Amino acid sequence: MTRRLSRETLIKWAPLLVLIALVIFFTALNPTFFSLRNFARIAIAAAPALMVAIGVTFIIVMGSIDLSMEGTVSLTAVSFAFIFAQLGGSLAGFGWIAIPLVLVLGGLIGLLNGLVHVKLKIPSFMASLAMGFVGTGAAILLTGGDIVKVGDAAFRGLLTVRWLGFPLMVYVAAFFLFVGWFIQTHTTLGRNFYAVGGGEDLAHASGLNVTRVRVTGFALAGVFYAIAAILVVARIGQAESVTGANFMFVSITSVVVGGVALWGGIGGVWNALVGVLIVNVIDNGMVVIGLPDFLQDGVLGLLVILAVVLSTDRKMVSFVK
Amino acid sequence: MDIQRLKPHLPWITLVVLVAIVGVNDPGFLRPSNLLGIAGDIVPLFIMALGLTFAIYIGGIDLSAQSMANMVTVVASVYLASMGAWVAVLCVMAGFLLGMLSGYVTTRLFVPSFISTLAVGGVAFSIAQWLSGQRALNMDAAQRNETFGWMIGRTWGVPHELLIAAVLVVLCLFIERRTTLGRALKAVGAGELAAAASGLNVARYKILAFAISGALAAIAGLLFAVKLSGGAPTIANGFLLPAIVAVLVGGTPLTGGVGGVANTVVGTLIVAVIRASMLYFEIDATRQQIVFGVVLIVAIALTIDRAKLRTVK
Repeated sequence: MTRRLSRETLIKWAPLLVLIALVIFFTALNPTFFSLRNFARIAIAAAPALMVAIGVTFIIVMGSIDLSMEGTVSLTAVSFAFIFAQLGGSLAGFGWIAIPLVLVLGGLIGLLNGLVHVKLKIPSFMASLAMGFVGTGAAILLTGGDIVKVGDAAFRGLLTVRWLGFPLMVYVAAFFLFVGWFIQTHTTLGRNFYAVGGGEDLAHASGLNVTRVRVTGFALAGVFYAIAAILVVARIGQAESVTGANFMFVSITSVVVGGVALWGGIGGVWNALVGVLIVNVIDNGMVVIGLPDFLQDGVLGLLVILAVVLSTDRKMVSFVK
Repeated sequence: MDIQRLKPHLPWITLVVLVAIVGVNDPGFLRPSNLLGIAGDIVPLFIMALGLTFAIYIGGIDLSAQSMANMVTVVASVYLASMGAWVAVLCVMAGFLLGMLSGYVTTRLFVPSFISTLAVGGVAFSIAQWLSGQRALNMDAAQRNETFGWMIGRTWGVPHELLIAAVLVVLCLFIERRTTLGRALKAVGAGELAAAASGLNVARYKILAFAISGALAAIAGLLFAVKLSGGAPTIANGFLLPAIVAVLVGGTPLTGGVGGVANTVVGTLIVAVIRASMLYFEIDATRQQIVFGVVLIVAIALTIDRAKLRTVK
C-alpha cells in the first residue's frame, strides 16, 4: 500500500520537483539565471505557450489529442493583424473589437475541428493534424507569404508596459490561467472533461452527451489558441503564416512533461503551467549557461518519452498503436 | 453495385478520372514527356510515402519522416566530402536506427506512435541543427556528380529517379507479399491482439516496420539532397502532409491491415496529378496546403475501418 501510494505521490509531484531542481541547477552554473530580469524573460517566452498548453490540456484530459495549434495560432494571428488594421490599427480607437472577434474565430476553428473528429469519426490526432494544415494554408492564403506588422503603441504595451518587472502580457496569461482553472474545477464542463477522460463508456452510460463535451472541448481549446496568437503578435509585433510554427511540439511536450496523462482523466491546468515552465527554463537555461540552443528539441523529445513512460501504468495497457 | 465492393477500386478510378479531367482541359498534359517529368519530380515524396505505408499498415503513424529526411540532407551534405559513396550507407543506417528507436519506444515503453515519432523527430531535428550549425549547406558540385550523379538526369527521356523508385517498389512489394515479415505485418495490422494471441512476436515486427519507415525516409532525404545539391534542417518541410495524403488516398486506412505498397503508388500519382492540375487550372500555389488538408480529411473519412475503433479518441 505504501509503495503504491509513494509511486502515485511521486508522479504527482515529480514535475514540480524537476522544475525546482532545474532552477537550482542553472542558478548554480550561472547565478545571473536567478534574477528578476531573467525570470521576466522566461515569463514573456512562456506566456503564449502557456495559453496553447492550457487549451490542449483540456483535450488531453478527455483522452483525445489536438495537433491543430500551429495552424490555428497562425490563422488567428494573421486574422487579428488584418482585422486590427481594418478597424483603424489602434487599441485607442475601434481596434480592440478585433480581440473578441479573433477569440470567436478561434472558437469556430476549434468547433470545426471537433465536428470533423466526432461526426466523421476520425481519430483526433489525425483530424486535428489535417485541420492544422488547412489553418496554416489559410494563413498563407491570407498573407500571400508576407509579414503583417502591428505597430500600435497601445497594443504593444502588452510587452512594453511593466508592473513589478513583468510585462502586462504575463498578467494577461496569468488571468487566463485562472479562467482555465475555474473552468476545470468549478464548471460542469470541466467535470465532464474528466468524466470522458476517465472512462468514455461509463460517461456515456451515465447519460452524458459525450459528443457535445468533446466538440465543446475543442472549441474551448481554439479560444485559448486565439489568446496565444494575440500574445505572440503583441510580443513580436507582427503576424505571418509561420507565427504558430513549433507550438505543436513545445505545447504537447509541456503538457505531457507537466504530468497530464495521455490516456486522459489525469492532470490539469497547473500541470500545464509547471510543464511550460520546465520547457522554458530548460530553453532559457541552456542559453544562459552557454549551451547551444539547438539541443532543445532533442532534449525535449527524450523528456517527453520519459514522462509518458513514468505516467503509464503498465498493467492497465495491453497494447498501443 | 455494392459500395463495399467498389471501395478497393476507388483509388485507381479516382486517378483515371483526374487524369482524364486534366487531359481534356489541357491535352499537353498527356504528352509522355510531361507525364514522365511529373512522375520523376514526385519521387522523393513517393519514397517517404512508401516508408509511411509500413507504419500506417500496422495501424501506427510515423510523424518523424519529415525530420528524418531533413536530418539526412544535412548528414549527406556534411559527410559526402569525407566518405564518398559510403555516406549513403550512413544515411540509411541512421534512418533505420532512429526508426527502430521509435518502434522500441512505441512497443516496449507503451508510448503511442504519434507521440514517440514526434519525439524522435525532435531528436532528429536537433542532430540536423547540430551538424549543420543551423545553416544551409551545399555539396561540392563535382563530387556530387561523380558520386551520386547517376541518381538524377534522364536516359531516353526516362528520369533516373523513376528507376530508383521502381527498384524500391519491387523491393517493398517483395517484403510485403513474399516474406514472413510481410505476412506478420498484415496480421498485426488486421488485428494486433489476435496476432499476439497466435504467438507472433508482435513487438519485433512493429519495430521493424518503423525501422523500414525510417530507412525509406532517409533514402527520400538523400535523393532530395542530391537533387538540390545541399541540405538544411528544414529543407524537406512540407513533405509530411502530402506523404500522409498519398498513403491514405491510395487506400491504406489509418486503422491499418489493408492496402499496402501498390496502393501508395496509386496514391502518390493522385497527389502528383492534383498538384499538376492546380497549375493548369491556375489555382494559386498558396492554396495547395488547404486543398491537401481537406483531401486528407475526406480520404481518412472514406477509408477508415470504424469497426476497429471501439471509441474514437
